[in-house]
Amino acid sequence: MVQLTVGDLAQSLILSRRNGTLKDSIQDLMSEATTGLAVQKTERLKGDYVPMAGIEASLTQLEAYRSVGTSARAMANHMQIALENIAGSASTLSSSLLGAATSHTPSRIASLGLEAGQRLSGVMAGLNTRIGAQSLFAGQATDRAAVASVETLMTALDGVVAGAISSADVETAVNDWFSDPLGFAATIYQGGGPLAPVPIGRDQSAQIDITALDPAIVDTIKGLAMAALLSRGVLGGSDVARADLAKRAGENLASYQTGMAELQARLGSTEANIINTGVQNDAEKSALETARLGLLSVDPYETAAKLQEAQTQLETLFSITARLSRLSLVNYL
Amino acid sequence: MSIGGTLASALSGLTATAKAAEVVSSNIANATTPGYARRELQVASRVVGTSGQGVQIVGVRRSVDMPLLSDKRLAQSTAGDADARAAFFKRMELSLGTPDQAYSINGRVAAFEAALTEASSHPESEPRLSQVLGSAKALARQIGLASRDVQTARTQADRDIAGDVGKLNTSLDRLVKLNVQIRRGFGMGQDTAALQDHRQQLIDQISGIVPLREIEHGDGSVSLYTTGGAALLDGVAAVFGFQGSSSISPDMMNGAGLSGLTLNGRPIATDSEGSAIRGGSLAANFAVRDELTVTAQAQLDGLARDLVERFADPAMDGTRAPGAAGLFTDAGSAFDPLDELGLSQRLAVNAAADPDRGGALWRLRDGLGAATSGPVGNSTLLTAMRGALTTLREPASGGFMSGQRTFGTFASDLLSNIATARLTADGEASFARAKLETLTSMEAENGVDTDQEMQSLLQIEQAYAANARVISAVDAMIQTLLEI
Repeated sequence: MVQLTVGDLAQSLILSRRNGTLKDSIQDLMSEATTGLAVQKTERLKGDYVPMAGIEASLTQLEAYRSVGTSARAMANHMQIALENIAGSASTLSSSLLGAATSHTPSRIASLGLEAGQRLSGVMAGLNTRIGAQSLFAGQATDRAAVASVETLMTALDGVVAGAISSADVETAVNDWFSDPLGFAATIYQGGGPLAPVPIGRDQSAQIDITALDPAIVDTIKGLAMAALLSRGVLGGSDVARADLAKRAGENLASYQTGMAELQARLGSTEANIINTGVQNDAEKSALETARLGLLSVDPYETAAKLQEAQTQLETLFSITARLSRLSLVNYL
Repeated sequence: MSIGGTLASALSGLTATAKAAEVVSSNIANATTPGYARRELQVASRVVGTSGQGVQIVGVRRSVDMPLLSDKRLAQSTAGDADARAAFFKRMELSLGTPDQAYSINGRVAAFEAALTEASSHPESEPRLSQVLGSAKALARQIGLASRDVQTARTQADRDIAGDVGKLNTSLDRLVKLNVQIRRGFGMGQDTAALQDHRQQLIDQISGIVPLREIEHGDGSVSLYTTGGAALLDGVAAVFGFQGSSSISPDMMNGAGLSGLTLNGRPIATDSEGSAIRGGSLAANFAVRDELTVTAQAQLDGLARDLVERFADPAMDGTRAPGAAGLFTDAGSAFDPLDELGLSQRLAVNAAADPDRGGALWRLRDGLGAATSGPVGNSTLLTAMRGALTTLREPASGGFMSGQRTFGTFASDLLSNIATARLTADGEASFARAKLETLTSMEAENGVDTDQEMQSLLQIEQAYAANARVISAVDAMIQTLLEI
């Protein structure tokens, strides 16, 4: 007679295996319910980590772009303020000079010379502005001041114009010195070459290459310095020549204003580019975050339902285990 | 003399029921012993002369389903094989890390790239340069760690092989002795069930190591062959030979620094295709040691080589002497394409840029060969290094599919290769495990059922009482005769 029997071990094997499986899935579901992300990442991505790595790397990179953009923007901002001060000084002084040149009053000319000296020292201090430790107009030599002191500049110019007898002589000598590579560029400018572009976004970079050696800035300094020479006794013998020098300085300063305006406009457009790229980066960041979520996110409703189901199953399993263990012939004999 | 015959029958009944009770008690006692085969008492009517008289015990039968058992053993070895492979890939996946974890290779690459970006906007800043150095070192270290994990997996596999071989040899030795004992007992008509249980358990234990086929002989002894055709137990036990290595470096291979496997002193193949031991944990461990880890090491070396070469372009940094090492070095010196094996473990950041090793941070900005520091705002080299990471480049080695990729994509391709292999291995392992579980359940169902044993016990009790009653009736009958 064939007897149908089921070994005791079979039952306990099935129960314990079922118990293990259920607890395992509850563990995973609990983590998924609380984080909203799939626990079995590889299974979810079918082993292809390339898109996920791309997204993660881009997000890290965007964070770096944000920090670069912030500091580039702060730098452009500060430079813009300094440029505005320079242009303002030049334009105010230029109209004063042009007005005074017609009056030929020696004392007025002398006081304008003093004012030019003060404005020049303001402008040069502006060029030596720093953010933190970074010198703004010194190009790559961000650790150094962009220009030497006003006194150095004026002393050098004193030597250049010594012996000049007409305002035209003075102008030519000053112009020559400023355009001579061994003149202003070598003795007053202390910075380096222009800064290289910095990356501010995917395939986007911003170049803030304005240094104190920029022609518009040099010209402005030149105009101011020419006027400032008046306070240092240049052309001492002739009031007419001094007045003429003031006029020439005023005219020069007025004509250099276009250059300054163009410089400011150029910096402004770089600033706008940095801001726009920042906005684009923010948009890209939120798009990437959505995409990252899409790769790994789980439906909270589905997770909750599965968790509930697993819990019910486990409870059922417990009560079945309890009942089955009582269900033995031994207890009835 | 029929009264005497009655008494003899009743006594044989008593003996048989007593023996049956003994069998039941043994079954119940072993209800939860794994590998215990349920015993059944076999009885037949006794024949004396030409007429039947009482009951006789034919023997105790072990109830074993041989086809099921051999299926289970094969499933056990398949599971052993798949588990060992899946465990290796799982370990590699953990070691490489997924891109959302900062310590993963991908995370380190992203951090390095970000550090270069940030430093290029402030090349004068020491913290930013040291961040570049730190993240470069972390990247090199992470690749080195992954490579060391590969070698640890090899060492572990080597140790497992040694363990498996030792276990096989001892078990086979004991099996030979058991075979002899069983054959002797069989010939003398003794109950050898316990010995057979023991033998079955021993064979079960080694069937995860190599897939086995058991052939039972008429005298109770068994022979064992691997499904690949090697004789393990055929009167005498086969002896496996293997020499474990205490530490393994990437250049050690099977036959070159690493021991192969011998069977009775003769070397045998251990590759996954066509070897006589294929299909169990032993072959899987050989596959991990000689095939999977070697591939993984080659891929890591390919990744390391790509990193080194990206930063070794002479056009990037004019201050370096021709042929000098770039930012990433082979243990401090320039990389030699002929010496690629194990590069990932030797990957290091150039000491010229590391203040802790006599270098200077500013060399990251001004060039690794620069004698003096240049303009502090010069970001050309930093930007070029960042570009080197993201340039599309064809992998030079490592057995990757051809196609240009950035370094980050290269790293994620490596991870994806491992992850996909892990998924496949996991799928096979869970299939093998499910099959093994089903077969184990089926085997357990054939085991001891206490309820049934209790029922038998009730019958035995009744039979015993009935036989005893017969004896007392015969006694009364004889008394009656004596009183006459």
